[in-house]
Amino acid sequence: MPVQQEPGDLLQGTLGILILKALLLGSAHGYAVSRYIEETTSDVLKIAEGSLYPALRRLEDRGWVTSEWGLSENNRRARFYTITAAGRKHLRSEAEVWLRYARAVTRVLRADPSVA
Amino acid sequence: MSRIARAPLWRRYLRFIRPDAAADVDDELEFHLTMRVERNIALGMSPDDARRDALVRFGDVQRVRQELVEHDHRQHVSTQRVEFMSACLHDIRFGLRSLRRAPGLTIGVVLTLALGLGVNMAMFSFLDVVFLRPPAGVREPAHVRRVWTEIQFRSGAQFWSGFSYPQYAAIKSALGSNVATALYRSPVETHFGRAEQERRIRASYTPASYFDLLGIRPAIGRFYSTDEDRPGAGSPVAVASHAFWQQQLGGDASALGRELFLAGRLYTLIGVAAEGFTGVELDAADLWIPLASEPRRGATAWWRNHNVNGFQILLRPNENEGPADPALEQRIVAGLRTPEALVRPADTANVVRVGSIIRAQGPGNQAQEVKIATRLAGVTSIVLVIACANVINLLLARAVRRRREIAVRLAIGVSRQRLARLLFTESLLLAFFAAGAAVLAAHWGGTLLRGLLLPDVRWADAASPLHWRVIALALAAGIGAGLVSGLLPVIQSLRTELTGALKAGVADGHARHSRARSALVIVQAALSVVLLVGAGLFVSSLNNIRGLRTGFDVRHVVFGDVAFDIRDSLRDARQAQTFTDLADRLRHAPGVEQVALARMAPTRGFGTIDFYPDVDTTQFRKPFATYNAVSPEFFAVTGMRVLRGQDFPRTPTGGSAMPPVVVVNEAMANAQWPGMDALGRCLRFSPVGYCYTVIGVVENALFTALLEKPQPQFYLPWDNQPAEVGRRFASLVAKARPGARDLVSNELKRAIGEAFPGGRPAVNSFEQFLEPQYRPWQLGATLFTAFGILALIVAALGIYSTVAYAVAQQTHEFGIRCAIGARTQDILRQVIAGSLRTVAIGVAVGIALAIAGGRFVAALLYGIEPGDPGVMTFVAIGLLVVATVAALGPAWRAARVDPVTALRVE
Repeated sequence: MPVQQEPGDLLQGTLGILILKALLLGSAHGYAVSRYIEETTSDVLKIAEGSLYPALRRLEDRGWVTSEWGLSENNRRARFYTITAAGRKHLRSEAEVWLRYARAVTRVLRADPSVA
Repeated sequence: MSRIARAPLWRRYLRFIRPDAAADVDDELEFHLTMRVERNIALGMSPDDARRDALVRFGDVQRVRQELVEHDHRQHVSTQRVEFMSACLHDIRFGLRSLRRAPGLTIGVVLTLALGLGVNMAMFSFLDVVFLRPPAGVREPAHVRRVWTEIQFRSGAQFWSGFSYPQYAAIKSALGSNVATALYRSPVETHFGRAEQERRIRASYTPASYFDLLGIRPAIGRFYSTDEDRPGAGSPVAVASHAFWQQQLGGDASALGRELFLAGRLYTLIGVAAEGFTGVELDAADLWIPLASEPRRGATAWWRNHNVNGFQILLRPNENEGPADPALEQRIVAGLRTPEALVRPADTANVVRVGSIIRAQGPGNQAQEVKIATRLAGVTSIVLVIACANVINLLLARAVRRRREIAVRLAIGVSRQRLARLLFTESLLLAFFAAGAAVLAAHWGGTLLRGLLLPDVRWADAASPLHWRVIALALAAGIGAGLVSGLLPVIQSLRTELTGALKAGVADGHARHSRARSALVIVQAALSVVLLVGAGLFVSSLNNIRGLRTGFDVRHVVFGDVAFDIRDSLRDARQAQTFTDLADRLRHAPGVEQVALARMAPTRGFGTIDFYPDVDTTQFRKPFATYNAVSPEFFAVTGMRVLRGQDFPRTPTGGSAMPPVVVVNEAMANAQWPGMDALGRCLRFSPVGYCYTVIGVVENALFTALLEKPQPQFYLPWDNQPAEVGRRFASLVAKARPGARDLVSNELKRAIGEAFPGGRPAVNSFEQFLEPQYRPWQLGATLFTAFGILALIVAALGIYSTVAYAVAQQTHEFGIRCAIGARTQDILRQVIAGSLRTVAIGVAVGIALAIAGGRFVAALLYGIEPGDPGVMTFVAIGLLVVATVAALGPAWRAARVDPVTALRVE
C-alpha cells in the first residue's frame, strides 16, 4: 500500500533519506526520528508523522534499517530503529546525488538574472 | 484514537506466546502519540488541544495502522516459512550426511524397502491396469455399462457377457430411446496383407453406433454410417486405430482410401480413431470393421442365429432421465423373455447384471491368472511387512550404536522434539529413495508381470504400467513405510538417559531392545511360514496338475489341418482324400514314427451326430456325446490306453474290410451303459441303421481343458463311417520319434502347404496346446516360491542380525563363562537354542495364520487341501533349519570369545 504523496510534498524516497540521516546519530524510536526531522528542518517540510512508519518498514524490508523493542528514555516500551552498514552506504550515495542535484538547481536559479 | 483504545487488552499478552503484529503496531503508534501529547502539554497546551494537535500531525491513524499490521503480518508469515524451509533443508542435509556416513546401512535399508515396495507397486500396477483403468479415450466411461447374463455351463452357473444378435435386438427395443446401445465383437486375430507380407493383427467387428456410444471422434476421415452397416449388406470399409495407422499405414492422411487386404477380403480405409482409443477390452484393436461385413457362417445368417452368441453389449443411459442399473436389468430380462429372443423355453429364468465398462469389475469369472494376481497382492504386502520389519531391525541396531551421539546432542541442548524430527527425516529420506526405486520397479516389474500373467493380451501403447495412482501409492507407501520403520527406533533413541548413555560403552544391552527385536523375528518367521506354505501348496498343485493323464503322448504328438479364408466346395470334397494320401506319404518321412487320420484334430473341435443306443433310452438318459472318426493307428499315435476290449483292427488295405465297429471312452461307457458292460453293445446312427458294435473302451482323453468333467466320446472307424456323418473333414495326427518333434512339425506344415495351395496349414504339437493350460499353475507356483524364498532370505538376515547383536551384547558374559570353564558346545547350544525358541514361536504363529488364510487360496489349488500337514511340517522344519544356520555364525563367535579380551572391553 503506497503512501499517498500530496502535490508539493516530498519527492518519493526523500523521506527515507531523512530517516536514515536521523538514524546516523544512533538508534532511535519513530517519535525521536520525527522530532529530529522537525527540529533540523524547522518544521518546514510538514511531514505527516504517520507516514514515517510505513517508510521505516520499507527501509527495514530493504535491509537498511533493523528494529527491536526496548525501553524509551522515560521507561516506556518502544520500538527502536538502527541503521545498518548497507543503510549507511545507501545514504551516502543518495545524499551525493541529492546534493549534486540541489547545487545544480541552485546554480541555475542564481545565474544572471538571479531570481533569488 | 478510537480503534487503538478499543483493541482488547488480553491481546497484548498474546505476544508472550507468539508474535502479535496488531498489538505491536498499536503499541508503537500509541507510544508516538503519547510522546507528542506530553510534549504539547509541556509546551502549554490544554490536554484536549494537545491531543487534537498530535492527531493532526500524525495524519490518518487508521490507515497507517492497517498498513503496518498487514505489512508485519506478511513479514511474519514469510519469515516463518523461510525458517521452516531452512530447518527442513538443514534436516535433510544433516540426514544425508549421516546416511553417507553409514553407506552399508543406507544401501541395506534402501534395497530392502525398494524390494518390498517394488514388488507391491509392480503388482498394483498390474491390478490397476486390469481392474481400475477404464478404456482410454472413452467419454465419461463411468456411464457406459456392460451387460451380463447368467448361463448354465457344464461347470455350473456363470455370468457371461456374450449375446446373440436376436437377443441384442430384443434388449435394444426393451430399453427404449433413452438408453443408447451398441454391440461389438472382441478383437480377434486376423491375417492382414498378402503373401510374404502377411502379418497378424487384431480386428473388431462393431456397428456404426459403437463409436457414437463411446464418444470417440475420428482423428482423420470418418467412421462408417448405419447405411454401411446393414446386416446382409455391410460395406467393406475399415477404421484404423491411431497406433496402427502410425505404425503400419504410414501415419499420414494419404492412407485414407487405401485398400487393406484382410483375411482374403479387401477393405477400404475410411478413417482413423482418435489417438489412444483401442477398444474397450484389454486387448488392443488395430482395425474396426462394420459388424454387417462379418461373414455369415453356416446356413443361418448370424443376425438371425441364436447360436452365434459372442456379441458384447454396451449401454449408455441418458445422463439425467436414464434408468439406474436395477431398472435396466429388469427391462433387459423382460426383453430377453420375448419370443424373438428366447432360445429354449428353459432359459426364461434369466438373471441379468449391468456392470462397469471395465470387464474385470463385472460379475463374470476372472481368468485364473487374474485370481492368482489378487492373491499375490496379499503376498506382496506380506513381503513389504517383512521388509519393514527388517528395516526396523537395522534402524534399531543403529539407534543403539548412536546412543552416545544422541546423548551428546541432548546434553548440548538440542530439544527432543527437534531430534525426533532429525531422525524421522533420516528414515523418510531412506523411504523416499526406496519409493523412487519402487517406481522404477513398478515400471519394469509391471511390464514383466503383465507379460507373465496375461501373455496373450496385446497391450495398447497407452496402457503404461505407470499411472499417477501407481506413483502416488508408491510415494504414500514409501512414506508410510518410512514413518512406521522410523517410529520405534526414534522412540528408542529419545528414551536415552543422558548420564547412563554418556558413561556407558556401546556394549551395554537393554532388555527392551532385545524384546523388540525378538518380536520382529517372530513376525518375520511367522510371515515367512505363511508365504512358504503358500509356495508349498502351489508347487504341490502344479505337480498334481502335471501328473494328470491327458490321454495323449504330450511330448511327441503333433497335429495339423488346414484352413481357408474363402470356402470352395469342390476343394472341400477332395480334402479327405488328399489328407489320406498325405498320411501315406508322411509315414515314411524322417522322424515320423506313425501318422493317423482323424476327422477333427484333438482339441480343435468336435462333431455330434444323432445316435441310438441299444438300451432303453427312457430309462437311461442319453448323454451328450461327441464323436471323432479315426484311422486304426490313432490310439497308438496319441498314446490313449485301451482299458477294455480292443481298438480298431488294422486292415491291410483299408476300405471295405473294416467292420462296423465303434470304440467308446470310459465316460461314454459309464453314462450310456451304467453298471453294464459296454463291450458288445450297439450304436446305431439312424433308428434302423447298421449296428456299430462296441469293441473297446479307451481312457478319457482331454477334451478342451485340463480340469473338466470327462466328456463322453466315441470313435468311429475312418474307413467305415456311417452315411449320416455327412461331409468328411480330415486332419493329421502324427507321432514323432524322440527329439524329432520340431522336424515333424515343419514337415507337416510344408506337406500340407504343398497339398493345399492357398490354404493355411495349422500345425501344433500337443505340448504347444497344453502348455498354456499349465501356465496359471506354473505361475502360482513360481511366484509364490519366489516371494517365499525372498521372505525367507529376509527373515534369515533378521535372525542373523538379531543373534549377532545379542551375542555382541553378551560378550562380557560369554567371556566370564569361558573363563570359568564353559565348553564350546555349551555356548553354541545356548545361543542356538535361544534363537530357535524365538523362531519356533514365529513358526507356530505362522502355521496358525496359514491355516486361517488357506481359504483365500483354496479355490486356486488342485489336489491338495490348504491345511496339508505334509506341507506344514516341511515348511516348519525348513524354517527351523534356516534359523539354526543363521544363528550358527554368531554362536560360533560367542563360543570363541577370548576371556581376556572380553573382560578388558569395559
